[in-house]
Amino acid sequence: MSKVVGIDLGTTNSLVAYVKDGVPVVIRDESGDGLVPSVVSVGTDGTIFVGREAQRRLLTAPESTVYSVKRFMGRGIEDVHEDASLLPFAVGGEKGGVVRIGIAGRQFTPPEISAFVLRELKRRAEDHFREQGEFDFEVDRAVITVPAYFNDAQRTATRDAGRLAGLEVLRIINEPTAASLAYGLDKRNRGTIAVYDLGGGTFDISILKVEDGVFQVLATNGDTHLGGDDIDRLLVEDVIAEMPKGLAPQTVQAIRRAVIQSKLDLSETDETAIRVESTIGLPTGYSRRITRADFERMIMPLVERTLGPCRQALADAGLEPKDIDEAVLVGGSTRIPLVRRLVHELFARKPHSDLNPDEVVALGAAVQADILISGRREMLLLDVTPLSLGIETMGGVMSKIILRNSTIPASGREMFTSFADNQTAVDVHVLQGERELASDCRSLARFRLRGIPPMPAGMPRIEVRFQIDANGILSVSARELRTSIEQTIEVKPSYGLTDQEVERMLIESFEHAEADFEARLLIEARNEAETVILATEKALRRSDFDRIAAESLEAGERERIEDALADAKRAIGSDDREKIQRKTETLNEATRHLAEVVMNRSVREALAGKNVKDV
Amino acid sequence: MTPDPIPLRAASMLECRNCGAGAPVDEHFCPQCNRILALGRYGDFFTFFGLPRRLGVDPRDLERRFRDLSRQFHPDYFYNAPPAERLASLERSSYLNDAYRTLRNPAARIEHLLAVEGLPPAKSDEGGVKVPPALLEEVFALNEELDEIRELRESGEDEAQLRVRLEKARAPIERKREEHERRIQELSDRYDSQAGSSAAERKTTLEALREQLLEQKYISNLIATIEREQGAGKVAGGLQASGEHHE
Repeated sequence: MSKVVGIDLGTTNSLVAYVKDGVPVVIRDESGDGLVPSVVSVGTDGTIFVGREAQRRLLTAPESTVYSVKRFMGRGIEDVHEDASLLPFAVGGEKGGVVRIGIAGRQFTPPEISAFVLRELKRRAEDHFREQGEFDFEVDRAVITVPAYFNDAQRTATRDAGRLAGLEVLRIINEPTAASLAYGLDKRNRGTIAVYDLGGGTFDISILKVEDGVFQVLATNGDTHLGGDDIDRLLVEDVIAEMPKGLAPQTVQAIRRAVIQSKLDLSETDETAIRVESTIGLPTGYSRRITRADFERMIMPLVERTLGPCRQALADAGLEPKDIDEAVLVGGSTRIPLVRRLVHELFARKPHSDLNPDEVVALGAAVQADILISGRREMLLLDVTPLSLGIETMGGVMSKIILRNSTIPASGREMFTSFADNQTAVDVHVLQGERELASDCRSLARFRLRGIPPMPAGMPRIEVRFQIDANGILSVSARELRTSIEQTIEVKPSYGLTDQEVERMLIESFEHAEADFEARLLIEARNEAETVILATEKALRRSDFDRIAAESLEAGERERIEDALADAKRAIGSDDREKIQRKTETLNEATRHLAEVVMNRSVREALAGKNVKDV
Repeated sequence: MTPDPIPLRAASMLECRNCGAGAPVDEHFCPQCNRILALGRYGDFFTFFGLPRRLGVDPRDLERRFRDLSRQFHPDYFYNAPPAERLASLERSSYLNDAYRTLRNPAARIEHLLAVEGLPPAKSDEGGVKVPPALLEEVFALNEELDEIRELRESGEDEAQLRVRLEKARAPIERKREEHERRIQELSDRYDSQAGSSAAERKTTLEALREQLLEQKYISNLIATIEREQGAGKVAGGLQASGEHHE
């Protein structure tokens, strides 16, 4: 049977994990690295690079490289101005619509970029299962995690990304809850847990009650725009302030890399340096000392922004800090000593970080995937919706239908009627948020109730049913109660893709997938050709080559090798993969005899050398 | 007059969409084939939990029932089931969550009981602006005091002084709240002891409960107003909060 995985699709890094013999494990590359940087880059020939390779290209081709795309998921252009200023790639899109990212002459939506990362994870997992000798190594289903405080549009965008990557998204689960599941595995304890999750781009706090294997979220809160990225930006801006204006994107990226390194250093040491190598516009490089105290002074306001959501979540759960039995740290940014100190103070207890804070979310996602597939009932996650859901009513007021922190799945009903005689349609505007005015809340969708039977004003009784499923995603249905006529609803997501758009992208991605596959084959063919060319050139450059040629090569053999070499070198410059492969093969043939001769000589020499020593 | 207290309890059968067997409307699973049943009716959370219609609810017992039913209904366990069962699981889980949220909260529990017993909700007809007669005196005094405090604040009066006055103004309202809580508890206990009494007697108790609930809501709003006023005085005090929680 095809395989199921859990995926942590992070702002900075992503991971894939699965349950092996009842234990969740992260899938790593040959060097033992589980993290795939959530970076995507497009080459001039259209090749897509993902992960470490794309991360390296941030320094060489920043304009065609995208990072931290999670911050744009389910958002509109008006939300992202602040972020866009320092980004090397172009961010655009229509007002009131989905963000578009322009790189390498192509336009991408955030779900499309995320889909590249997901495809890379899928490939990594499939390679792993293939190596394990699994008969069916295909990975076609996944549980994907999102920040608990993600709204409906952000969750839907994540699910769309999964679909675009060829994955059936079994479930979207919240990152802090996933982490608690991973923690709950080896502890089997009961009590009230606070999960503090400060990642690359988002902050979540979830308060859970664990009993009899049921992980019930009591309250959640957070900030989907607060994380390590913001700390990096503070530091980058501080360094840039000391430099001439109008730095090249490469320089900004070099600075960004340098400050990230010093941020990491300062979790281990009290003092370090921000060191930027010489680069465009910065010929002498840059270096400056920074102490942990300096760093903490700078980031204090950011870290303190996490405290408000923590207090709100406690209040919503009806708890005091002293009621928390355990505090758990999740997310790379919780390695910062200042963060640990503040969490320790807030809950008056030392927070746990036994599991790797980078990996714990993916492990939990794998556990949830296993629960869904196996039907095992020892553990059950009961999560909540982070934001209230409602509709716009007369006067632009938000009328709440499902309150925040309601356990999901959750449903709510609202009655509508007509204002004019024989009115056959009513417009409904769906909102998410806590504010009083509709204009201060997140617009999720607008839809029109059609097909209302003609009746005098106020007579129709239309029941609209809002259903939030276990993914935290909304669906809407409606019925006229007097006639029991089901209403047609066309939902136009405010900041999401319509089903048709997703379909079209899927088709395009198949076309591109073929192009991407072809591009990879081309790269592989070139690499192969280069290996043979280099080996041949090396042999030809040997100081004893003339003697070898005279003693062992046939007449014309040397010329044949030189011709084949020149052909192969010409072919490698073209984009014709088959030609490259043909010429490589010819060169291989032409040099086979030479290779034998050279090898025999080497062996003889080696043996001779040994004999001399031994004797 | 014979009230109609149980409009939703009509004995009706539910048809199992899987095996076609009939099931009592309050069953969760088909007695014949054990498949999850589509939600038969909405309206009575007590029955859904298998509880008698009483206001005294043991929170530990309610929580255990909630966990137990969650383990039976949750969509996680119906991932591979046919669409009809998946839908039934989604509906039943949503309904369970709603029911648990309602019965867990004492005030919401009373409101739900009012609804299933066919009484109007505890909302004032005019939309909640009318002062309940029993609170007229306190509300009058409080409003006067709040007006004065606001004026003094405008003219730059010492915040510490104002805080003392606000605390003082809050005290009689808090006393009222405690009084109402006791009264509601008494009435709830009385209702639970009236299981054998006539419908009319039970209804009288419920109507008294409804009255108390209305007043209690009004009191909560008054306290919220005072808290807003208290909040307005300490805008600069926000940073001290992080140190409050040391043991």
